[in-house]
Amino acid sequence: MMNTRTGSGASLGPTVGRLISLATAGSAENMAIDQAILDSVTRTGVPVLRFYQWAEPTLSLGYFQGFAARATHAQSDAICCVRRTTGGGAIVHDQELTYSVTIPVPAGSAGPRSVLYQQTHASIAEALANFGVQAVPFRRTGVEPRSESRNSQFLCFQRRTAEDLIVSGYKVLGSAQRKSRTAVLQHGSLLLCTSLYAPQLPGVNDLLSTPLSVEQLVPQIVENLSANLGVDWRVGTLSSQEIRDADKIRRERFASSVWTTRR
Amino acid sequence: MSRDESKLLYAESHEWVDLAEEDGKAVGTIGLSGFALEQLNDLVYMELPELGRELTAGEEFGEVESVKAVSPLYSPVSGKVVAVHEDLPENLEKLNDDPYEFGWIVKVEISEANSVESLLDHAAYQKQCAEAG
Repeated sequence: MMNTRTGSGASLGPTVGRLISLATAGSAENMAIDQAILDSVTRTGVPVLRFYQWAEPTLSLGYFQGFAARATHAQSDAICCVRRTTGGGAIVHDQELTYSVTIPVPAGSAGPRSVLYQQTHASIAEALANFGVQAVPFRRTGVEPRSESRNSQFLCFQRRTAEDLIVSGYKVLGSAQRKSRTAVLQHGSLLLCTSLYAPQLPGVNDLLSTPLSVEQLVPQIVENLSANLGVDWRVGTLSSQEIRDADKIRRERFASSVWTTRR
Repeated sequence: MSRDESKLLYAESHEWVDLAEEDGKAVGTIGLSGFALEQLNDLVYMELPELGRELTAGEEFGEVESVKAVSPLYSPVSGKVVAVHEDLPENLEKLNDDPYEFGWIVKVEISEANSVESLLDHAAYQKQCAEAG
């Protein structure tokens, strides 16, 4: 039986998905690969799970954030900046594990896929629990939620939405989505340690006596995502079309200052 | 007086169209259905197209953000954007209360009459929404 852990009827499976193993890439390249995967899943309907890290500390802006808002966060002012296609607030990608999961959705589905936030975050919380870290969704902390329109802190990790994972009162995992007609891309950041460029934000390893490594975490997250989403994740690579598409998207969009400063 | 939603046409992607004749031209007023707005849940941003932009039926003409998810808006008809509801992005909280009047997004002068043929009537759209749960 698949999908028994979160008790939701949103399982995809049983089905086979592609797992793109942990790798490090540049800021614009990372975003371009996620977009190329979204385009690919829109065409093929085959789910893709990817783990990645960043070749240099990077500030990513949410799709609708104004570039000028960078001035409100001096600590990250000098690092590389990229604009995401997903919503939410700015993230300093430095001491973190980043994931993206892209799945098909029925044509005509509307709005965010809340169940994907729930299942992905549950999978990461279960992995953290195996190492003695108790992470809970913000909606279960008993803290009064803020409406989105007032959730206007510059940094994503200073905002709170229902499915964000909280450890000892600190947000350690946040995710965002981009929809196409028949697929949704969700990517998110698990903070591992405090970054010099966002010193106000602790990561899970700052709250532990024995630090966790990404090598320990990733296999457990994959296993949990397999059970929770009903997907058998098989290690694969980016296709040649995805590589070509990602290169074009990188050059034309994410590496372009016109794109980054468009708002 | 608000539009009668039972008289509108709908795209599978949840945009409604009110077809009318203005100065001898076929014009479609386009918005997002009440069902879509419920699913979107607390819209925080909306991006509108430029006046004069030529759209093809099914093409993205704008984007919205809710719960950190960015979703495209798809044009249900082909034609030229002749009016844009400029006040809407700053007043998204009013959308849920009045999706069919205050919630109009753009008006499109329809260039291909047959681009409306694949749209759903209200009963067919209601059925789609019921099946989507």
